[in-house]
Amino acid sequence: MWNKKLKSPEGVFKMGSLATKPLYSERLVFKGLKQGLTLFIPEKKPFSHWLLVLNDQLKQARGFFKGGTIFVELGERKLSSNEREELSKVLANYGMTIKSFNPFEKRRFSSWRKEKPSQVMLVKGTVRNGQRVEHDGDLVIKGDINPGGEVVASGDIIVLGVLRGMAHAGARGNLQAEIIAFTLSPVQLRIAHIFSRAPEGKKEGEGPEIARIKGEKIVVEKL
Amino acid sequence: MAGRVIVVTSGKGGVGKTTTVANIGTGLALRKKKVVMIDADIGLRNLDVVMGLENRIVFDIIDAAEKVCRLRQALIKDKRFDNLFLLPAAQTRNKDAISLKQMKELVDELKAEFDYVIIDCPAGIEHGFDNAISVATEAIIVTNPEVSAVRDADRIIGLLQAKEIYEPMLVLNRLRPDMIKNGDMMDVDDINDILAINLLGIIPDDEEIIISTNKGEPAILNHHSKAGEAFRNIVARIEGESVPFMSINAEPGIFGRFWKMLSGK
Repeated sequence: MWNKKLKSPEGVFKMGSLATKPLYSERLVFKGLKQGLTLFIPEKKPFSHWLLVLNDQLKQARGFFKGGTIFVELGERKLSSNEREELSKVLANYGMTIKSFNPFEKRRFSSWRKEKPSQVMLVKGTVRNGQRVEHDGDLVIKGDINPGGEVVASGDIIVLGVLRGMAHAGARGNLQAEIIAFTLSPVQLRIAHIFSRAPEGKKEGEGPEIARIKGEKIVVEKL
Repeated sequence: MAGRVIVVTSGKGGVGKTTTVANIGTGLALRKKKVVMIDADIGLRNLDVVMGLENRIVFDIIDAAEKVCRLRQALIKDKRFDNLFLLPAAQTRNKDAISLKQMKELVDELKAEFDYVIIDCPAGIEHGFDNAISVATEAIIVTNPEVSAVRDADRIIGLLQAKEIYEPMLVLNRLRPDMIKNGDMMDVDDINDILAINLLGIIPDDEEIIISTNKGEPAILNHHSKAGEAFRNIVARIEGESVPFMSINAEPGIFGRFWKMLSGK
């Protein structure tokens, strides 16, 4: 049963919560994974505690891990350079060196790590047919977006002119993103994964409008 | 002082680029300017036909570029004006036959000698287009009052910006006042709203253009043609004069037309 818990790295991080079984929680886990032997250090309890546990464990299994390079998975825990040094010292006593930390990070956390505090980009001039503006953050266009022109932003899009082309706000999946234009008569609007076309025969010049998601649809309202 | 190098382009085909080049070239020659027109539409040459000079072609732009002949030899002098020349396209080659470097060399040589170098750009946005706009410093965009032509013109404006031609001039060709009046055709304001560039001229749809094209005689020389008058105004504006836009009201009805004939207007 204990082993089952460890099938996924997530299971390992939950170990701290298994405090009712102190015997098991006091052991660190080494797993042979695709990238190589990986040591999992739980996020709970102080790092110094785990350092002692590690030392004990290695002492018991002396010689077993000799002469290997390993990965260390820390989860959300951040190590100071001192702590890192101590860890590598303990490992070095038993002939191990650290290849790198958090081998899963790139894959597991990349999707949300990229959402930095949003930045605003200002585009001066009209986005014409065949031109495309992309920005990670909010986007302000000081001009029109003509038919055939495309603007894509991970945040909001504000058009200080006529939006006649295509605008895609919240392109990384932000459902709260909005599209605002002085005149909104687009070929197509997209917010996150939702698409919409302008109703047939809609006329320009109805004043500033805002498009946002309500329910599962993009709704356009007067600003 | 080096001459002005103006490319006439549109993106879409068949909107009247070649006609515009022929008329503007002729109009500038009428004003005693030294003008050379370059047909950059290699493989689909037309300008020589519209100018009525087809049978005089010996060498063409590719011969000049490849130094088979001297540039002077490839230039064809117009039938009507001694100060108007044509550098014809090659008909049996394609657009890749001339490189940007060769094109630049030709244009540099020409602009040292002529007041105006007017380039008839091929349709499309490929290599031939790229060559033509890369050597120019000014651009005239020709479009028709059709949604597709205006879209293409918009695309072209963007591409010209990339080549640092920021203020192209717009020629609106084939306007039909009667259709605009009935709301069946985009009017000048609709087009201006989208393209937002300087309007150089508006040319009404005119049967005379077809006749003059077939005869090889530019309409600008015909004083009875409305389109000819529009082209004369365009030439004046290119020369820096400010000419009011002529009214493009609907043609008078049958009685009006009759009256016009009687009064000899």
